[in-house]
Amino acid sequence: MSVGFIGAGQLAFALARGFTAAGILAAHKITASSPDTDLPTVSGLRKMGVNFTVSNKDTVKSSDVLFLAVKPPIIPFILDEVGPDIEPRHIVVSCAAGVTISSIEKKLSAFCPTPKVIRCMTNTPVIVREGATVYATGTHADVEDGKLLEQLMASVGFCTEVEEDLIDAVTGLSGSGPAYAFTALDALADGGVKMGLPRRLAVRLGAQALLGAAKMLLESDQHPGQLKDNVCSPGGATIHALHFLESGGFRSLLINAVEASCIRTRELQHLADREKISPADIKKTLLDKVKLESPSLSVASASKVSLFNTKS
Amino acid sequence: EVGELRVGFVGAGRMAVGLAQGLLRAGKVPASSILVSAPSEKNLDTWRESGCRTTHCNLEVLQESNLVFLATKPHILPHVLLEIRPAVGPHHIVVSLAAGVSLQTLQRLLPTGTKVLRLMPNLPCVVQAGAMVFALGSCASDREATLLKHLLSSCGLCEEVPEPYINIHTGLSGSGVAYVYLFAEALAEGAVKMGMPGGLASRIAAQTLLGAAKMMLETGEHPAKLRGDVCTPGGTTIHALHQLEKGALRATVMNAVEAATNRACDMAKD
Repeated sequence: MSVGFIGAGQLAFALARGFTAAGILAAHKITASSPDTDLPTVSGLRKMGVNFTVSNKDTVKSSDVLFLAVKPPIIPFILDEVGPDIEPRHIVVSCAAGVTISSIEKKLSAFCPTPKVIRCMTNTPVIVREGATVYATGTHADVEDGKLLEQLMASVGFCTEVEEDLIDAVTGLSGSGPAYAFTALDALADGGVKMGLPRRLAVRLGAQALLGAAKMLLESDQHPGQLKDNVCSPGGATIHALHFLESGGFRSLLINAVEASCIRTRELQHLADREKISPADIKKTLLDKVKLESPSLSVASASKVSLFNTKS
Repeated sequence: EVGELRVGFVGAGRMAVGLAQGLLRAGKVPASSILVSAPSEKNLDTWRESGCRTTHCNLEVLQESNLVFLATKPHILPHVLLEIRPAVGPHHIVVSLAAGVSLQTLQRLLPTGTKVLRLMPNLPCVVQAGAMVFALGSCASDREATLLKHLLSSCGLCEEVPEPYINIHTGLSGSGVAYVYLFAEALAEGAVKMGMPGGLASRIAAQTLLGAAKMMLETGEHPAKLRGDVCTPGGTTIHALHQLEKGALRATVMNAVEAATNRACDMAKD
């Protein structure tokens, strides 16, 4: 089985690194493409032994499982570009937040009657094989196709199938989640430094504390509330600290964060559906490069790009 | 032992009434075995109606009873102790209900060797759903602890604790009953705002608290787990809980318990 990545940025890099480290895929079975060769991840991919090309079409031709690993506004351009090369054997996996299966199927159906589409939401810790991934299968993707993807993604962390309408919530929780954790870790380290610890040690200890706590929770039947209680000796240091967290509305801040990320994902999806994303969101140089590869692509006007141009 | 029990109350106020009624309702002690003293007639009618014997003489309570509850207001207690001291003997078990009066103080003002205990009940003892903690003085033993637990478990939860926990119990459960009333009132008001009549809302609020508490006690499950069990994804409950978290309800409740406990400690020092 070969895997291809359209896009050679953080996501492609993280997944390629994860798959190769897991031994589920050899580097030479992976192809990644991007018109932009200056990305720092490009050299990383090359060093791994991944086949890098500037031609998205080449990636499609040499892959069975094709990951669309580009930013959401770029997806429609990609689909128009590579659509003609999609064959029945291809499993197209979109990792783009807020891009629906139906929008992808609609685009691809211009080229291929029954495109196999799977929508996926993963997160950056796939790079260390501790990712959190969910996927939803499209109209023409079989159970085996889903299982194949699940096998791939399970090699780099936790992976499970969900209904598509839950994916925005997953984005808010585990998609964005590592960012919340990094923020918390930065602050915890500040706390440590304030109380006298050297920065490096503070970061190391904070990260290990969160890692250990997460591992305990995953391996326990107990409710996190119970695990918390187990740490809080009566009148001790921890309960005093927790009181501060509660006073600051710690819990509600986290709930707010997950909610905000989920809502924003939905907003972006609606913006995309209503074709309201302006070309300013897309680097002009990138757009030009894409147009070079696919002269048939049309850009409607200077002020608005129609994201769902059908071939005329 | 319980059969030979003669129970006395010095002070006839609400707390004493609550405990006595609990004992009577559970049938642990016949009314005729209970003697209560109070300076005025004011509080004694309820006692007489239940069949208890009454007096205006504190010493008489000591002479007639072997288990004596001291249920006066805290600032009066030292005077009462000096008054009854001559009648206190080694056969007595003296249980003080006075908030803020330490075992050390009690033992200092009573004859050496007296079996002294401190008890902190809460108001729902009256309906046999109280939460009580007690601490043993230096001359009180397991025997007294067992007796008290046996008698008072008819009034609700009754546990022996180290003395420092008594002030915490005040903050948690003594005063805590008031926090619950406040919460119940607020629940009902929310319902009234949404269109439900107040009386009905109040009764439902109370039953909700009762039911939730019962589930906690009967399942022994962590309240966080029980809370999670009620929260359907994207449903009404989680939306409501988010509001509570935004209002930092947890921290506020912790503040309340802390404030009441600290106040109990401060009052004890006075």
